[in-house]
Amino acid sequence: MEDYKFLFKVVLIGNSGVGKTCLVRRFTQGVFPKGQGATIGVDFMIKTLEIENSTGQSENVKLQIWDTAGQERFRSITQSYYRSAHALILVYDISCQPTFDALSDWIREIQEYANPKVLKILVGNKTDRDDREIPVRVGEEFAKAHDMYFLETSSKQGENVEKLFYEIAAELIEQARRQKGGLSRTHHSSVTNLGMKSNISNFQSNCCSGSGSNNN
Amino acid sequence: MDLSSLIGFGDAEDLKSSEGIQRLCQRINEREKQVNENLAALLSRKLTLETKVDACLIKHQQLFKTSVSDDSKKLADMIGHTADLAEKVSAKVRRLDTARTRAQEAQQRVDDLINLQLCSQGVMTAIKEENYEIGAGHVKRYLAMDKKILEKTADDVSSMTSVNQAVDTLEKAAKEMREIVKVKLDEAIKKNDLASAERFFKIFPQLGMYDEGISKFTSYLCTKLASKAEKELRQSMDIAKAEKRIQVAFADTFTNLLENVLRVIETNQPILESYYGYGHLLKMVKVLQIECDEETRKLMQDFNKNRLIQRRTNQINDFRKNSANTSTSTIGHLRKASGSIDKLNAKDLDALIAELTIMHSRAELYVRFIRRRVTNDIEKCFANEAMTEDEKKKEHELLETTIKRSQLNILMQDLLSTYLRFESYFMEESVIKAIHLDTYEQGQLCSSMVDDVFFIVRKCIRRSIGTQSIDGICAIINNGGACIEQEFVNALKNILKAGYPSGYIDLAQAYNAFQSSIQQGKIQTSDSEIARTKFLVTLNNADKSIEFIDALYQNISEEIKVAFPNINPLKKEMIESCLSGLKSVGDSMKTVVESGMQQLRNSAIKPRINPWIDQFQSFNHTLTDEELALYEAGETFIQSLIVQLDGLLNSFKKVLSEKNYDILVMMLASDVTARLERVIKKTVFDRNGGLVLDQEVRHLGTFLTGATSWTVRDKMARLTQIAIILNLEKISELFEYYDPKNQEGPFTVWRLTPNEIKSILKLRNDFKIDEIKKLQL
Repeated sequence: MEDYKFLFKVVLIGNSGVGKTCLVRRFTQGVFPKGQGATIGVDFMIKTLEIENSTGQSENVKLQIWDTAGQERFRSITQSYYRSAHALILVYDISCQPTFDALSDWIREIQEYANPKVLKILVGNKTDRDDREIPVRVGEEFAKAHDMYFLETSSKQGENVEKLFYEIAAELIEQARRQKGGLSRTHHSSVTNLGMKSNISNFQSNCCSGSGSNNN
Repeated sequence: MDLSSLIGFGDAEDLKSSEGIQRLCQRINEREKQVNENLAALLSRKLTLETKVDACLIKHQQLFKTSVSDDSKKLADMIGHTADLAEKVSAKVRRLDTARTRAQEAQQRVDDLINLQLCSQGVMTAIKEENYEIGAGHVKRYLAMDKKILEKTADDVSSMTSVNQAVDTLEKAAKEMREIVKVKLDEAIKKNDLASAERFFKIFPQLGMYDEGISKFTSYLCTKLASKAEKELRQSMDIAKAEKRIQVAFADTFTNLLENVLRVIETNQPILESYYGYGHLLKMVKVLQIECDEETRKLMQDFNKNRLIQRRTNQINDFRKNSANTSTSTIGHLRKASGSIDKLNAKDLDALIAELTIMHSRAELYVRFIRRRVTNDIEKCFANEAMTEDEKKKEHELLETTIKRSQLNILMQDLLSTYLRFESYFMEESVIKAIHLDTYEQGQLCSSMVDDVFFIVRKCIRRSIGTQSIDGICAIINNGGACIEQEFVNALKNILKAGYPSGYIDLAQAYNAFQSSIQQGKIQTSDSEIARTKFLVTLNNADKSIEFIDALYQNISEEIKVAFPNINPLKKEMIESCLSGLKSVGDSMKTVVESGMQQLRNSAIKPRINPWIDQFQSFNHTLTDEELALYEAGETFIQSLIVQLDGLLNSFKKVLSEKNYDILVMMLASDVTARLERVIKKTVFDRNGGLVLDQEVRHLGTFLTGATSWTVRDKMARLTQIAIILNLEKISELFEYYDPKNQEGPFTVWRLTPNEIKSILKLRNDFKIDEIKKLQL
């Protein structure tokens, strides 16, 4: 049995073709796959990270990453994963206005299906492209308005990809600690627990936009 | 090369006839044998030489160093000489070898020429006689020849014109044959003559027209499939009516459709393999798939129309939207089964969902069959070395894209999506209904909703396994967990929120009244009695649910293992992750039980037991021997306490589930011991008082142990230790039980701190304060 102290489910959502699969592949395998076909249903990947905690010890965190299909046809499959997610990464393509316009629909989906206190991250992908259509500020403001973290990434160049997942892991550990002094190896029950009317999410989008330390 | 000089015969043989070459070859072989013998002789000499060297060495030792260098020089010369000789011989052998291959090549050329003559003569007559198989055979032989060598031979040979003539004839014949078989096959197809179509299909590969043959013939098969499918689709409803299978009419038709395609592959694969060889099946499958796609599309159109898929989907979506709008928050809200007219009745969907499941599983099985067949075909082709590693990989990729891009695949994804929507709706609505129709039968621990809810969820998940789609199964497992958590757990929580009414002065009495009224069949229960029962039943429901969730997890895991024996590890982990999500709902259920039991403790246990225990203070604990005897003769404090506690527990024993009752006993034990400790600390003891207390604590321990299957020793530990201290003869005796350096006394761990021990010692009026203070603990 692998040794890990925390297990978190991270679900990626967003329009078809914004680069969710590339983001995951870059992070889990260190490659940028070309000519990737559309994802069918859900893809599933695992990566165990070592994260340094506040006392300076490193802990193993297992991330289960669910890479969902962006196409409408798979919505009834992908929606079923929202509820048990610890973190939702909503991805758009900075060079494609329609993918940004669709964000409000995605937010509605999240509100309908996800746990209200799920960690939400907005990611503008494909910063390597020079035909940017969405300015950084616009993305940031959207994230702020919807109580999300914000980060821009490039799977092609690997920019901010590691940072994205490490920050998520660190934040989730922090949340778990706040909740009941840590959930060690419980089956991701803590977030799905009931009796949580908590209106936390006071973690404003300060972590990723600032000069947050890069845990590479 | 001049062969004759090599062989050593003056007379040059006629190399132009096959017999001549044969003879020459024979002679060469003989010569080779001779040379080999020579070589063997030389080698045997070498062996003697080696012995001589050894002898020399011995001599060298005998004669000291005199003639060593001479000898060795001689020896070196000799070895060099031998090597020279050997090299010369092997050169000869090599040349002989080359000569032999050339002779063989020449033989092949002659064979080709003879074939050429035969073929060119035969092919025309074959065509004239419409004996296409033989003609094609000739062409095949011609095509198998190496064109370049043929031309070179033509150059070498004196009768050049005849060779060229033969080649021309054959070229022409091949062209003609190709035309003829194409026309003939087209004719056969037009006439719908399967036998001749097959006949010409078999000829195509002989003429090197693999792809064309496959595509023409398969297209023909497709037209046959199409007409069959059309007929079947038209008749499907009638047949279904006749066989009383209306509910699964489309699933039946779809099954037929796919089976027809597979049957075509099954019957034609052997022909393909024996006439075309391995590695061609994918071409056939690709053509057939286009037809299969088209037929599936038509069928799905009919299906969607007939089964009102779009309308029902809209109804579900509208309903969801409405309920999402009306509820303040989605989670934590128990949706009421609304009576709107346009609402879809979940029960009506049941049969349709089953049909969807069958259809999807058929498509999965179909794809699996195709994948297995084609993969085997490619592998066999690769094993025969008719394909490179790269080509193999490409073929496999082509197979996957063919499957992935097929209309069938996309239609099935849509179908799965419909299935998931319907199944989730069915599950949710049925669960809500089960909660609303909850009934409780007197004398039962649980009410109907537990069985009903888990029956529904289990049914839905099991049905999803029938789709054969991992994605589908995972989604329904996820939704099942969500459904239990959002609808069922919240329903239980809502009932518990009302609390446990504690209006009665004597609860035990109230329960006795309640029980007797049940026995008499009278329903005289007051509101608060109903509320109490409901509260306890809900606690039991939650407890039972924890069991059911575990069982559900186990069962489903097993069933998936059986349904997918060769599942890949990643998919397996995917399912396990979803299943563990389902299992974690049990944790939610546990907190429901915990909070419910806490409520019960606060309203039904604490207020009852506190006054009973406080009675302790009204007893005197400084007793003369006479008083002690008197006390023990009458009803002691502990006796009446135990009677009261027993009554309280008994009132719950029959109405709580075993586990919940155990929790209750544990709660009672902690409350009783804590309260008792408090009153003890307010009391003054002497030696006899301590003795009484020690006995009473023992009684209590025995009672509590008997009340539950769990161990209560832990709860009793502090109290037991307090009793020991108060029961001491003199202070110094303490150290028989308590060793400050070593905690390994009769009690492994002392629960009391040194300060607590001292303050308890002070409760004894016969212990001197000074002495207690001096104690080194």
